[in-house]
Amino acid sequence: MAAQMTDAHRHFLQALMSLGVVESPQALALHRQCCELHKVHYAADKLDDFISVANLQLQPLFLEIRRGMAEETGRTCYALVNLAESEVTRMASDYSETELELFKKTMDLIVLSENGFASSTEILNLADQLKPKKMKKREAEQVLQRLVEDKWLSEKEGEFTLHPRCILELEQYILSHYPDTARKCHICHALVVQSQVCADCGIAMHAPCLARYFRGKAEPRCPRCKQFWPPGTSAVSQPPAPSSSSTLREGRRASSSSSSVGPRRRR
Amino acid sequence: MSQKKRNKRPGPSQVEPMEVDEEYSLSQTPSSSQLQRNVQRRPQSQMEAKVNELVRFLLVKDQKKIPIKRADILKHVIKDYKDVCPELLKRANQTLQQAFGMELVEIDPKSHSYILVSKLPQLERESSKEDEDSPKMGLLTVILSLIFMKGNVIKESAVWEVLRRLRVDPGEKHKVFGDVKKLVTEEFVRQKYLEYNRLPHTEPPESEFRWGPRATKETSKKQILQFVAKIQSKDPTFWTSQYNEAETEANAAGRH
Amino acid sequence: MDEASGDETTRRLLRQQYRELIADVQQNREMMLSTRNDKLTESLEEANKLFVAVSRAREAALDAQFLVLASTLGKEKASQLQSDMTVFDPSAFAEDLLSFMGLNRLDGGESDSDNEQLASGYLPSNAWHTLGEEAKKYFRRAPTFHFMLGAFTADPPVQRPRIERQQKKAGPDERRAMPKQLEKMEESHQEATEKEVERILGYLQSFFRQDPGVPISFLEFVTDPDSFARTIENMFHVSFLIRDGLATIKLDDDRLPIIEPLYPEEGENNQDTQARKQAVMSMSFQEWQNIVQTFEISQPMIMPATPAKK
Repeated sequence: MAAQMTDAHRHFLQALMSLGVVESPQALALHRQCCELHKVHYAADKLDDFISVANLQLQPLFLEIRRGMAEETGRTCYALVNLAESEVTRMASDYSETELELFKKTMDLIVLSENGFASSTEILNLADQLKPKKMKKREAEQVLQRLVEDKWLSEKEGEFTLHPRCILELEQYILSHYPDTARKCHICHALVVQSQVCADCGIAMHAPCLARYFRGKAEPRCPRCKQFWPPGTSAVSQPPAPSSSSTLREGRRASSSSSSVGPRRRR
Repeated sequence: MSQKKRNKRPGPSQVEPMEVDEEYSLSQTPSSSQLQRNVQRRPQSQMEAKVNELVRFLLVKDQKKIPIKRADILKHVIKDYKDVCPELLKRANQTLQQAFGMELVEIDPKSHSYILVSKLPQLERESSKEDEDSPKMGLLTVILSLIFMKGNVIKESAVWEVLRRLRVDPGEKHKVFGDVKKLVTEEFVRQKYLEYNRLPHTEPPESEFRWGPRATKETSKKQILQFVAKIQSKDPTFWTSQYNEAETEANAAGRH
Repeated sequence: MDEASGDETTRRLLRQQYRELIADVQQNREMMLSTRNDKLTESLEEANKLFVAVSRAREAALDAQFLVLASTLGKEKASQLQSDMTVFDPSAFAEDLLSFMGLNRLDGGESDSDNEQLASGYLPSNAWHTLGEEAKKYFRRAPTFHFMLGAFTADPPVQRPRIERQQKKAGPDERRAMPKQLEKMEESHQEATEKEVERILGYLQSFFRQDPGVPISFLEFVTDPDSFARTIENMFHVSFLIRDGLATIKLDDDRLPIIEPLYPEEGENNQDTQARKQAVMSMSFQEWQNIVQTFEISQPMIMPATPAKK
C-alpha cells in the first residue's frame, strides 16, 4: 500500500505536460497505459490516488495535477498547473508581453461579460491600444488562434471563452482578481465563467451542475429561492449565437432599445 | 579519468563516451570535501528551497529547447549560493529524475550549458494532432537521417534537394513550418540539434550540416538507423557500414 | 543573310538547351547518383541529341562542360555500385517518406518516370504530424511545461461589476443600462445631453449622406482643434450614439477607427452585438495635441453648440 512514486507516475506526468489537459476518458486510458508499460499495479478506479502520489512530489515545486470540470460539457478534466508566481515564471517564453496583455484584456472581457463569452470583434478592437506595443488586427487574430491551439481559450463561432485548462490554472487568480464579478457555482462551489443565473435571486451555476440538479426533480426550480426556473434557460449551454432568443436576452434587447436619449429615428 | 563510474541508467544508453566527464561534473567537483563543508554551513531548508526554485527555472527555460547556460542559472537562481552550485545542480537533477523521469545533461563543457532529456520512452498515441512540436520533430529526423546516412556530414544543397521532394522549399513559406529555411538553419541550430557551417572558398556560398550535441543526447545513430529502416521497410543491417558504425557507438556508450 | 540570322537563332536556342541540361543535372545531383534510375544515362542521351546540331566552338564548350559534369557523376555512381555495402539512396528515402506520410498519388497511369523529380500527388494536411509522431519514438526528448499563471504580471484587481443581466423583476428600468459616470449627470443634464447627442447624430448622418463611400475618421470627427474640452464632450456624446446602436465604430485598413451611422431598421439584426456596447474612450491632452497635428485638423467637423443652431 506504500504509495511510491514510480515510472508509471512520471510517465503520466510527462504525458500531461505534452498534452496540456486531458479529459476523463483519456486520463483513464493513460493511467492504464502507464501502469502496464512499467508493470505497476493498476486499479482502474484509483486514478485519483495515483495522481495524489505524484502531487506529493510536485508540492514543493508549486506544481499540481488538478482536477476540474469542463464548464460546457460537464466532463472531468485534468491538467498540470502552476501554483505560484515568481520572477522565474515571468521568464516563460510562450508569449510576448504584448501578447499576454491581449490575453489579459480578453480575460477581462470574458469575465466581465454577462455570459462568459467575448466576441472576436470586441477583442480585436483592443489590439491597437495594447501596451507596450500595439498590435495589428491580423497579428491579434493569430495570437488568438495560438491561444486556442495552446488551450488557454476556446472559440465557438467567433466567440471566445476560457478553456477548461485555463480555468483549472487561473481559478484562484480570477476569483481574487475580479472580486466584484467572478462568481462561484452555487452547486459545486467552483468558479463559474459561463454561468446560468437565477432571474429571481441571482445565484449563478454551471449549466451541467444545474442540469444534474434538475434531474430527478419534478419541476425545475432554483436551488436557493425555489422559484420556478423558466424553460429555455437551463439548457446545457447557451452559446451566444447572435440569433439566440433566450428570454433573458430578449428582455435586454427590449430595454436597450427603449432606453432613450434623444430622438432615434431619422426617417 | 574518463572511466569514472557512471550512474546506472535505465533504458537504452546512447551517449558518447565523453559524457562520462559531464556526469562527473554534475555530481561532484574536484574539491568535494570543501563543497561538503560549504553545504553543511547552509540551512537545509534554504538549500531545498533553492533546489526547488532551480527545478522550476530549468522547466521554464526548457520551453524553447535552447540549451540553458550555467551563467544564466547563476544569475537568476543560484545568486549568492555560488559556493554550493554543484550540489544544487546535483540535487535538482535528482528531483527532476524522481518527479518527472527527466535528467539534466551538460552538452557543452566549454560554455557549460545544459539540456533536459527524458529517461522514459515515448508513449504511443492514438491522435496525432495533439502535439504541435511533432511536425518539427519529423522534419528534424529527416535531416538527421540524411546526415548520418551520408557519412555524418551533408551539403546544405543536398538536404534541400530531398526536402523539396517532400514539398518543403527553402524559398517558400510552408503551411506547417512557415519560414522553413529559418527553422532549419536557425532554430534547430540554436537548439543544438544541428551544426551548420559555411564552407570556405565556395562561390556561390555552400554550407554543410552535421549533428549538434543535443541530437547525440536525445537520440543516437542506432535509433536514427532504425527510423530509416522502418521508413524504407528494410533491416538496419541492409546498410552495412552505417549499421557497423551505429553498433560501435552503441557499444561504446553501453560500456561502463 | 537570312540563313545566317536563322543560324544564330538556332545556336542561341541550342546554348539555352545545354544550359538547362547542365542546371538540371547540378540541381538533381542526388537523384543522378541514385542506383534506382537511369537519369544520368537519359541526360547523356539528351546531350548526344543536342550535339548533332553543334557546329561552333561556343556550343562545343558547353558540351564539354556537360561531359565533365556527367563523367564526375558517373565515376561516383560507379564507385557506389562496386563497393560491397549497400549505398544509402536519398531519393529512394524521399519516396518512402512520401508514402509514409500518406502521399495521395494522383495519376498512377501516367508513370512518366520523367517526372520523378516531383512525384505527383498531394500530401494530406497531417502528413508532417504523422511523420513526427513516428519520429518522436526515436528520441528521448523531454516534454515541456507550459503555464499561464505567473507568465504575466497581474494588474490590480478589477473593481468593476459585471454587466448585469436584466433581472426579471426589475422591470424596464432604462437607467440600469447606463454607465456609472453617466448616472450622476443624468438628472440635471439629461435634456441638454439628449439635444447635443441628437445634434451630433445630425452631423454624422449628413456627412455620411454627402459621401457614403468615404469612411469618416472617428478621430477627425470628434476632435475640435480649438478646444480639448469640446473634443472630450464630443467623445462623450458619441458614446451615446454607439450605445444606442445609432452609430458604430470600426477599424479601417490602417487600424484607425472610423465612425458610421447606423439606421435602426437595418441595425435590428446585429443589435444584439452592437447596441449594448458602451464604448469607453479616453484621450489625454497630449494625445489631443498629437491628433490635431498628425491629422492636420484646422476646423472641427462638429461645430461648437452655441453658434450652430441648425
